[in-house]
Amino acid sequence: MKPLTEGALKAEVVQKRNRFWFKAFQQRYLYMMSLPFVIWIFIFSYVPVWGWLTAFQNYKPKDSILNQTWVGLDNFIELFQDERFYIVLRNTLAMSTMGLIVGFTIPVIFALLLNEMRGQFFKRSVQTISYLPHFVSWVVVAGLVSKMLSTDGGAVNQLLMWLGFIDAPIQFMAKGELFWGIVTLSDLWKEMGWNSIIFLAAMAGIDPELYEASTVDGAGRFRKMWHITLPGIRTTFMVLFILSIGHLISIGFEKQFLLGNPLVSDYSEVLDLYALKYGIQMSRYSYGTAIGIFNSVVSILLVFIANGIYKRVTKESII
Amino acid sequence: MKRKLQMVLSLMLALVFVFVTACGNSNNEGSTNSGTNGTTNDGTNAAETAEPITIRIASGDNNPSWDDMNSDVGKAIKEKTGITIKQEFPVGGTDSDMFALMVASDDYPDMVMPKGSAGKLVDAGALIDLRPLIEEHAPNLQKIYGEYFNRLRWSEEDEAIYTLPQGGVGQTYFDAGGGFQLQHQVLEAAGYPEIKTVKDYEAAIKAYIEKNPTTPDGQPTIGMSLNGGEWQILISVTNPAFYATGAPDDGEFYIDQETHEAIMHYQRPIEREYFRWLNHMNNIGLLDKESFVQKYDQYKAKIASGRVLGLIDQNWDYGEAENALKAEGKFGSTYARFPVTLDETFQDHSFQGTGYIAGYGVGITKDAQDPVRLIKFLDYLASDEGQVLVNWGIEGQHYNVEDGKRVIPADVQEMKSNDNNTFKKTTGIGNYLISARYGDGVKDPSGNYYTTTFPEQIQASYSEQDKKTLAAYGATTYKDLWPADDAFPERKYGAAWTLPFETGSQANVIFQKTQDIMKKRIPEAILAKPEDFDKIYDAFLKDLEDADVAKLNAEFTKMVKDRVALWSK
Repeated sequence: MKPLTEGALKAEVVQKRNRFWFKAFQQRYLYMMSLPFVIWIFIFSYVPVWGWLTAFQNYKPKDSILNQTWVGLDNFIELFQDERFYIVLRNTLAMSTMGLIVGFTIPVIFALLLNEMRGQFFKRSVQTISYLPHFVSWVVVAGLVSKMLSTDGGAVNQLLMWLGFIDAPIQFMAKGELFWGIVTLSDLWKEMGWNSIIFLAAMAGIDPELYEASTVDGAGRFRKMWHITLPGIRTTFMVLFILSIGHLISIGFEKQFLLGNPLVSDYSEVLDLYALKYGIQMSRYSYGTAIGIFNSVVSILLVFIANGIYKRVTKESII
Repeated sequence: MKRKLQMVLSLMLALVFVFVTACGNSNNEGSTNSGTNGTTNDGTNAAETAEPITIRIASGDNNPSWDDMNSDVGKAIKEKTGITIKQEFPVGGTDSDMFALMVASDDYPDMVMPKGSAGKLVDAGALIDLRPLIEEHAPNLQKIYGEYFNRLRWSEEDEAIYTLPQGGVGQTYFDAGGGFQLQHQVLEAAGYPEIKTVKDYEAAIKAYIEKNPTTPDGQPTIGMSLNGGEWQILISVTNPAFYATGAPDDGEFYIDQETHEAIMHYQRPIEREYFRWLNHMNNIGLLDKESFVQKYDQYKAKIASGRVLGLIDQNWDYGEAENALKAEGKFGSTYARFPVTLDETFQDHSFQGTGYIAGYGVGITKDAQDPVRLIKFLDYLASDEGQVLVNWGIEGQHYNVEDGKRVIPADVQEMKSNDNNTFKKTTGIGNYLISARYGDGVKDPSGNYYTTTFPEQIQASYSEQDKKTLAAYGATTYKDLWPADDAFPERKYGAAWTLPFETGSQANVIFQKTQDIMKKRIPEAILAKPEDFDKIYDAFLKDLEDADVAKLNAEFTKMVKDRVALWSK
């Protein structure tokens, strides 16, 4: 019995393998055509991963990468022992999570409302005006924000004083606990219109017959939004959402760098800024690389976790 | 069949191209590099020198008045040497970012002025040893450094010369750019009171602001503002703690002049009192609330509006904004400078001698096409002719020679003192201080000073307001208000802020941590309620200890002692 089944299994495996090679041979031109792109990706995305070796060395740019002193996990140990690392990690995650929540809900609501508009001209102009700030550089935005929030004739303080909510101007930029909010709100102002474009496009792609059918069934405006528009953009939404979860930990440092100041550094410093300061700025390339590896590993994990949850809930997979 | 074959062949050809270009590129780079290095070492002959070339120089200091060789002096230099300079400045980040990225990408311009990043570049093997080049090609450079030539050596172990210090040799200070600043109108209104201690300074501001809560154009006046939002927190907030408490500026360390023991200067009990005074100024509303939040351009904009009565800063930092005031004719809102101390028992040590400190300099990188040509270029700028050109400009245009004396015509001087930004940009004077040079107060063979900063010239550059204020204090220059140069013994280690940490060393990391702690805690302490001040300052000192400042102090002490040993040879 036993040898027989084993033999059968083997035969099946061989057959399977044969089928694969047969198919591959049939599609050889397709394979060849895709080859340049595979090589291209390999050269630009995988070959640089060699550089990760430096994280386990005490890298000095003078010598080649193979000619360095090896230090094992020293850089990682130092990283995980530094209190500062946990503070910047907290800041990074807090700001990106806040940005993720606000940066998805508001644009979706905005797109929903805009989608309900009838006047094409009005709709188009609102859309254009709302995404223009996306093209303004953060340097300018940071200048605007600090001017608006300034105690020295800043618009926000003057408004609050005029309304009688406060007696003396508030030092918004000097209060660490407000910093996350300031970053989130300025990011929202800048990116709301831009982020809603893709949702608007997805909404435009929904079959109008669905709306007509629901009108016949007696659905009102809100019913239609809830049962047709929102489910219609669900896939788009989830793809974007899961991809941004992958970016949770690498949010860049432009906004924090430009809006921050030493007084709020306990709230404003993010992982990338930490890597810049204690890595590259001090020529500790190995340490910087160690932070980069930590970043990438966490990002990959986050994407898989998010996708796993989504798969379990909806039985669909994005990746 | 034939068509299929063609397809396969063309595909393979495409692949081959991809590989050839990919590999070819790296090979090419390698060979050109070694090639140029090989030829340049053989030296170039004089005939080639005239051939125009363009060189890139990365400068750690931003210079908004840089003229791109389009100024009068720039054109003269181009004509004389055939060299066109392209300068690169830090964009966005700090100068240390710029040089760190340079090292990371292993791509260097021809020359660098790396400020504090020289160590980084040397460790990366980016700078070439200038010693043989100087000895062979640069008589003028040798002449200028003269007896201090041994101070150019890199370290005890490495006798190479990597950078040529740009500080003036034999410098005598005729003017004081630092101290505490007060607007002339404040002094005038108070009848030119004695400004010696922080109490005097405070009283003058207080008296004026009570009478003038707003400027003539209706904006509220600001008692004093500090440039504490960016890196200048060191210049405007923490360095003055040295000066006000009778110590010279040695970077972030206080160095005992007898034993050469170093401690982080915030650990001196007396400096706590200085910061307590700033806390007090904030409490009574005289300190600008935005001092530690504002960006540099906001700070300059405030000064240029004439609303800020007092500053604690250096002239090179606030000068640009003051120039705007001068250009508008608001001389009453420009600043006089005083050596203010915490109380009468202290003397301002700004001018305690250092000898030639061989500080920040210019270096030639390994990527330079033609180091010999560059060293000759630097040597030309260091020649008598070159120095007069970069300092004085062109004869008949920017200065005249009368009875063998160089004199700056009145209209040129007028523009130079009152609209210095435009002056620098159009004439180029002050933009080409790239090479070694003599300092103020040194005379050339013709009996004239090399630089345009000498007592008569300084007085000529003062505005009427400056002169009026100085006359009221019985002085001819602001420097007269400071203790004389020889009031204190010379520091044997030069100035400790020129000592570089070893790149990426533990001491360097601790230092960076202490800096981060300081930048957060000092503003926090100053802005706190007076009753909380001690609590925060204690927490600050404890944070420093937790960051292992003791180890850093020990390391720095060793560096100072090594420097003393090296320079005493």
